[in-house]
Amino acid sequence: MKMSRNALVFGFGLAVALVAGWVVFPRLLYVQKQQPLEFRHKTHAEKSGVADCHECHAVREDGAFAGIPAMEKCASCHSERIGESKAEATLVNSFIKPGHETPWLVYARQPANAWFSHAIHVKRAGLACTECHSTYGTTDQVRVYQLNRISGYSRDIWGHSISRLRRAPHEGMKMSDCEDCHRRHNVEVGCLGCHE
Amino acid sequence: MKVTRRDLLVWSAGAAAGLLVTPVPWKLLDDTSIWSQNWPWIPQPARGPVEVKMSACTLCPNGCGMKVKTAAGWPVGVAGVSSHPISRGALCPLGFGAHQLNWHPQRLRVVRHGANPSTWIEARIAFAKACSEGPVVVIDGYPGRAASSVLQSFSRRRDGGYRVVLGLETRALAPYEAWSGVPASALGYDLENAKTIVSIGAPLLDGWGPPGRFTRLWAERAAGNADPQLRLIQVEPSLSRTAGRAWRWVPVPAGAESALAAGVARVLLEEHMVSARGPMPPLTLAEAVAQTGLTADAIRDLARKVVARTPAVVIGNDDNPAIAALNVVLGATGSRGIVRRSKRAEPYVSADAAIPGARAIIVDASVPWNFSPQTDAEVFRFAAWDGGSSRADWLLPAPGFLEDLTDVPTAPTFAFETYAVAPGLVKAPHEVQSAAQFLASIDSTLATAEKNIHSRCEDLFRGRAGTLRGQEDTPVAKFASIQKLEEQLWKGAVWVGEAPHPVTLRCELKEWPSTVPSAHPENWSTTWQAPVLPPLATKLYRESNLREAPEKRTA
Repeated sequence: MKMSRNALVFGFGLAVALVAGWVVFPRLLYVQKQQPLEFRHKTHAEKSGVADCHECHAVREDGAFAGIPAMEKCASCHSERIGESKAEATLVNSFIKPGHETPWLVYARQPANAWFSHAIHVKRAGLACTECHSTYGTTDQVRVYQLNRISGYSRDIWGHSISRLRRAPHEGMKMSDCEDCHRRHNVEVGCLGCHE
Repeated sequence: MKVTRRDLLVWSAGAAAGLLVTPVPWKLLDDTSIWSQNWPWIPQPARGPVEVKMSACTLCPNGCGMKVKTAAGWPVGVAGVSSHPISRGALCPLGFGAHQLNWHPQRLRVVRHGANPSTWIEARIAFAKACSEGPVVVIDGYPGRAASSVLQSFSRRRDGGYRVVLGLETRALAPYEAWSGVPASALGYDLENAKTIVSIGAPLLDGWGPPGRFTRLWAERAAGNADPQLRLIQVEPSLSRTAGRAWRWVPVPAGAESALAAGVARVLLEEHMVSARGPMPPLTLAEAVAQTGLTADAIRDLARKVVARTPAVVIGNDDNPAIAALNVVLGATGSRGIVRRSKRAEPYVSADAAIPGARAIIVDASVPWNFSPQTDAEVFRFAAWDGGSSRADWLLPAPGFLEDLTDVPTAPTFAFETYAVAPGLVKAPHEVQSAAQFLASIDSTLATAEKNIHSRCEDLFRGRAGTLRGQEDTPVAKFASIQKLEEQLWKGAVWVGEAPHPVTLRCELKEWPSTVPSAHPENWSTTWQAPVLPPLATKLYRESNLREAPEKRTA
């Protein structure tokens, strides 16, 4: 009787910890934040004829990746309101007309001591955008940004799976993920390759 | 059901066991380690556009090409430029961390008079008073720059003198200046065409000349080859990194380098391995054997190896006339080996000797920290970092890394002329002035360094010689205007002069030189404090053994 009671209590503690660790902890760890604007990759591809990622996410002449396009690029079409949506009004009135850059929350933001070259990966290694970004370029809404309360970085760095098990190849942007990919492709990079 | 203390303990044990198979401990460990990197008091670069700007390193006279990555206008990373004709993509550990130097704790931020803080106004008043009372001597550690012209002009007007502190590589060329009349600053080593290089103590693979020059040559023509195209024979007491990688290592005790050079020269002349071009050394082979600890056969074998594959050149690590005389015997002065790269250079007076009669001395920031002039004059020393120079009366904050516009003349030891410009990319966080700016503010009739750079660009344009090497190579003759030329130089292009003319460097050497050390150790502090190194360089520097500690060098 005593043994079964102890097992029951132990099991209860175990179950509480498992639920807390696998379900409650991730919800507490990440705070959900909305992007400052709605943006639809799919709509831009279909209605504006933007067929290639590089048309907006270009590599500059000096080899640096331009990242998210500057407001000038948006203003070339959205200098005046094109639609009646609330997001369109926000874009034009809050950012384009006053000349403010949109404070996008960047999912891939890394610490200042890490350097990643899109130019090298795309131009030299010939990786397709989808190999890392999956089908994000064809989605119809921007994802919710999940901010890690402790580290201050996006959940995308760790990957969506809290256990980091059974991740898709494009998930996770930790140093070990870089190393794994380089090992798979048999490409060696020294410390200074990423940490200048 | 009553909950007992035992139940709580068992429940806790279950919870603890459960937690271990959840991501909680591992994720918390990971996140807290990242959190600790982002504490608010740890400086972070500003968020902003990331750009890459081309420039040149100004930390030493080698002027390696640099790609400087900036975030919101501030340098956050430095990398080499693979197409750069001097450095060929390589940088030394100090250069790799140069962007961190401006934030170094030993950065000199205020004017100091003795041990007390002072102001620029007080320093200017004190210097003006000194100028009115007697001659002013200027000491430069990086001659040939546009700023050096300002320093030279000022010292001439003040009846003082212009002295220079030359690096070991340039000092090794001093004997040729004495024998030929061609200034050492106009001479270089034609390593690119050499087939045998005998390095007597020169750390060719450990930090000699531009880091990318010999290391690249060695990697292309010697590394991993039992019978390399480029034979490197390293003469050194210990198995250094250079000695370990060399084709042959010849261990001789420290101080026996001159005896070895004389012994090899004697064998070369006695056995007619070379056409006699120099005097017979007075040292016999037996005496050379006694001093070097080598056998006579080993010295003969070394002499044979030196001439087995020519062109051959011998490189010393300091001003050693015996090593220079061996090059004369080998015929390595002139079109091969030691070459004259420039006709315009002028001889410099070394700052090693005592400086009598000066009222004040200006020490430029390019002079090494551990050099102190032998003088009773009032010393005004410019420095970006306080490297422990306790003998200056005034310490004046100078611009740090890429905080002011400067030009980069030909690197010492290089076989052909080069010229580059390093624009100021960063605004100094406090008031700084270079020695040239300070003197130009005292004497407004002096041409500023900026004007001198412009004049040099005009000279290059009018000369129509050489090529500008940037993103693409463009002969200077094809430039339509000075502005276009300057624009390219400002963007990181390097002007490269014509190859040296194959004229023999006539070295008048009637008798074998006696070996007298030229350095004056009393000028060099042996109690140098912790070197000023950026965090990135500290680890690389200490592990790489790239340069000897100064106390070892002067011992």
